Amino acid sequence: MSRIVITGVGSISAAGRSAAATVDAALEGRSAIATIESFDVSTWPRKRGAEIKDYDAAKLAGDRKVLKLIRRSDVLGLFAANQAIAEAGFARHRETLDDAGNVAFSESTACYVGSGGGAFNVNYEFFPLMAHAGDDMQAFGHDLASTVNPMWLLRALPNNVLCHVGIRHGIKGPNGCITNHTTSGMLAVIESAQAIREGEAVRAVAAGHDAPVEPQQILYYHRCGLMAKDAIRPFDASRDGSLLGEGAGALVLETEASALERDAKILGEYLGGGDASEGLGLLALAPDGEGAARAIRVALDDAGIGTADVGMIVAHGNGTPQSDASEAAALKTVFGAAMPPVTAFKWVTGHPLAASGILDVTLGLEAARRGVAPGIATLGTLDPVCAGVRASQSTQTLARDVVLILCRGFGGTNSAVIVRAIS
Amino acid sequence: MKRRVAITGLGVVTPAGNDVASMWSRLLEGRSCGAPITNFDASAFSTRIAAEVRDADALPMPDDRKLAKFASRSHRFALVAAEQAIRDAGIAPTASDRTRWGCVVGTGMMTVAYDELSSLQRSAAIEGQLDPSRMLDDAASNDPLAFCRSQSTAGVSLLMRRFGIGGYASSVHTACASGGQALGTALRVIRRGAADRVLAGGFDSMISPVGLSGFCLLSAVSPDNDTPERASRPFDVTRNGFLLGEGAGFVVLEEWESAVARGAKIYAELAGDGNSLSSYRITDSHPSGDGPIQAMQRALADANATAEDVDYLNAHGTSTPMNDKSEAAASAVVFGDRVGEVSVSSTKSVMGHLIAAAGAVEGVVCALSIHHSKLPVNANLRELDPECAHLDIVREVPRDRRVRVALSNSLGFGGSNSCLAFRHPEETAEVMARDRHQAGRRG
Repeated sequence: MSRIVITGVGSISAAGRSAAATVDAALEGRSAIATIESFDVSTWPRKRGAEIKDYDAAKLAGDRKVLKLIRRSDVLGLFAANQAIAEAGFARHRETLDDAGNVAFSESTACYVGSGGGAFNVNYEFFPLMAHAGDDMQAFGHDLASTVNPMWLLRALPNNVLCHVGIRHGIKGPNGCITNHTTSGMLAVIESAQAIREGEAVRAVAAGHDAPVEPQQILYYHRCGLMAKDAIRPFDASRDGSLLGEGAGALVLETEASALERDAKILGEYLGGGDASEGLGLLALAPDGEGAARAIRVALDDAGIGTADVGMIVAHGNGTPQSDASEAAALKTVFGAAMPPVTAFKWVTGHPLAASGILDVTLGLEAARRGVAPGIATLGTLDPVCAGVRASQSTQTLARDVVLILCRGFGGTNSAVIVRAIS
Repeated sequence: MKRRVAITGLGVVTPAGNDVASMWSRLLEGRSCGAPITNFDASAFSTRIAAEVRDADALPMPDDRKLAKFASRSHRFALVAAEQAIRDAGIAPTASDRTRWGCVVGTGMMTVAYDELSSLQRSAAIEGQLDPSRMLDDAASNDPLAFCRSQSTAGVSLLMRRFGIGGYASSVHTACASGGQALGTALRVIRRGAADRVLAGGFDSMISPVGLSGFCLLSAVSPDNDTPERASRPFDVTRNGFLLGEGAGFVVLEEWESAVARGAKIYAELAGDGNSLSSYRITDSHPSGDGPIQAMQRALADANATAEDVDYLNAHGTSTPMNDKSEAAASAVVFGDRVGEVSVSSTKSVMGHLIAAAGAVEGVVCALSIHHSKLPVNANLRELDPECAHLDIVREVPRDRRVRVALSNSLGFGGSNSCLAFRHPEETAEVMARDRHQAGRRG
C-alpha cells in the first residue's frame, strides 16, 4: 500500500490564521478566549468565547460573489481549504496539465467536509416575517416572498463548503459532508484517507468548520452544565467546563507517488484512524472512557503501530469535569505508565465543535514538526483523577515524530487520527 | 478479495405507508400521495401541497419514554423505521458484538422545531430582531431537551442507544443525496472491516413553515395546488417542480458471509457506491448529465458490473425541469445502446421527495424490486418529455421483471451525486462461484 502524505495544511482560529500562528500562541501561553463582543453579554450567566477578530468575510473567503450564498462558518471553512490547497500547489501543477490531464485531476480528487455552524441563528432571518405575521400563518405565507431572502435555503445548506470548494478548485471526485457534531472534521480526514487507500482518489481535500459562538448555543450549553466561567483548564483540578470558539482546519492528503511526481513539499504522513461510539445517549459518557480507548486502539491497529511509537497525544481536553476525567481514564487504559507527552489546544482556540478534530490535527502536526508538545498554560494543578496523564504547564520535547489526535462528541462518539510529522 | 455486503432488513415510514408492505403496495398501485398540507396552515403559501406521513401520532414508538422525549418528528420516523429493519433482519447487537455494529444516517438540515423558534421570536425578537438578553427568559431557549433534539447527532445518538450500537457512527448531510451517501458510507465501512453490520438509513421532515418556505422561495416545489395528486410527474413534459415529502428509510447491512452463515433472508447485495461532485451550480446538474454520469459509472465499476447488467434504474426523478433532463442525459451516456432496455421509474411520483431520507427509502425500493422481480410505477406520466424519450419508463402498471442489477440515483443541492448499485442475491452467488473458480485455477 502506497503511503498517504500530507502536502497542504489550512488552519484558522481566534488565535491565528495559520497553524503556525495558533501554535505560537499556545507556546506563548496566550489563549484567544475573551469576553464575547458579537452580542451584549452583560446580563449573561456566561460571557466568554473565542471569536475571530477583524473578520472580513470577502477577504477570508477570497471571493466576494460567493458571500450571498454562504454563512460565517462556511467562510472559515473556505479559508482553511483554500490555504491548504494553495500550500499543496494544485493550481501550479494543473497549469502543466493538458485538458485530459485536468479532467483526470478533477475526477481523481476527493473532498470530504465536516460541517457545523450557525444551527440556530440561520433561522433568525425569519424573525421579521414572524414578528409581522404573529400567529397568522396566512400572513406568513402571503408575505414570505417579499420578506425573506430568496437564497435563504442555499445559505442554510450544511454542505456549502463542499460545494464551493468543488466549484472553485474544480474537484469532482468522491465526496461527503459529515454533520456528526464534534467528530465531523475528524471523520472527514478518515474518509478522505480511505478514499485514497481504496484507490478511488489519488488526492483529497479534508476540511472541517464551525462558528458556534452564538447566543442560543451558549445558553443551551450552559443549561446543560457544560460551560466554564472564564477559561478552559484541561485536566486541571478546578476545571469547570468548556467554552466555544470559531475555527476551521483543512488538509490535503495524497499518495506519496502523486506528491513526488509533482515535487510537492511533504509535511507529514497519515498513518491511520479509528472511530468508536458508546451509544449511551446524547450527553452521556462512559466514566472509564471505554469508547475513547477503543477509538485509539482501532487507530493504532489501522496505522500498524504500537503505543510505544506515539510521540505525542493531542487530547480532546475540552475542560468539562466528566469529559476530561473519562479521557484521562482512556489514555491510562491504553498507554499506562509509558504515556508520551500530552497536550491540548482548546484552552487556546475555544471548542470549535465540528472543526475541533481536524483543527487539532493541523496544530498537532505543526507542533510535532517543531518537536514540541506545547504546555497548557491554564493547567495549574493536575486533577488527582487525571493523575498519570503526562500533561504539563511547560513545553515538553518530543522523542518521536508520531502524533495521535483524539476527538470526542455528543452521542458518545470518539475518533482518533494518527499522523507522522515530517520536517 | 472485497468483502461483500448483504441487505437483510428493511424498514420505512413514508407518505405511501408506514411499513414496507403498505408502501410497496401503494408504489405498485402508482397512486400519488400529494394532498393539501395538514401539518400547519399552509393555505397562503405559493405551494400548499405535500406528501405527508399519515397517522404520525399513532406510530408504534419503542417502549422507552425517556427516548421519546429526545425525539423530534423526523427522529420518531427514524426510530420506527429502524425498529422494523432490525426486526426484519432478525438480528440485533449483543453485548459481545455491539462494537462491531455501526450506524450511519443521512440527516435533515432543519433541526429546530417551528414552535420552539416561534417561542423564541415572541420572547426575544418581538420587533423582528433578536435581543439576546431577552432570550434568557424564553422557556424553549433554556430547555436542555429542546437542545438535545436540535443537535445534528440527535438521531444517530437515539438509534445507537435504542439498539445498543457501539462501533463506527456518523451522520452525513449532502442535501437530497444524504440517504444515498449514508448507505454508501456504510457499505465502505463494512468492506474495509471497520464494522461487520451497520444500521444505515435516512430521515427528514421539512413539511414545516420554515422548511416549506425555503423551497417556495427557490420555486423548487410544484405550485399545482389544485391538482396535488398530479403535481409530481417526473419525466412528463409539463413537470414544474417536486412534491415535498417526509419520512425515513432504514436497512440492516451485513457482511455477506456472516449473513449467509446465519441463514439470513438476503433481499439484495449492496454491491456498489458511486459518488461524484458536479462542481457546476448549487441547485442544478449540468444539462449534459456531467456529475451524475460519473456517479453512475463509478457505482457500476465499484460493483464490478457493466451497463449490460442493469435492468432497473430507480431515478432521482424529482419532477423539476432540469433534474429529469440532466438525469435522462446521464442515462443515455452511461447505458449507451442499452438505454432503451433499462426500465426506469421515479417513485417520487407517488411519495414525493423525502429529501435527506429519499436515497435510503429508494434503496429499500430497489431491494424490494429485486426481491419481488417487480418494478414500481412512475405515476402521472402522460406526455413523455421528448428530451427523455430514450428512457423506457414504467408507466401505468407495475412491470414484472427479474432484476439482475438495479441502480438508485440521489442527486443533491450542492452538487453531490450518489448512485448505489444493488445486485440480485442469486447473481451474487454466481459471481462468487465464478471468482472462486478463477482463483482456484490461478492458485
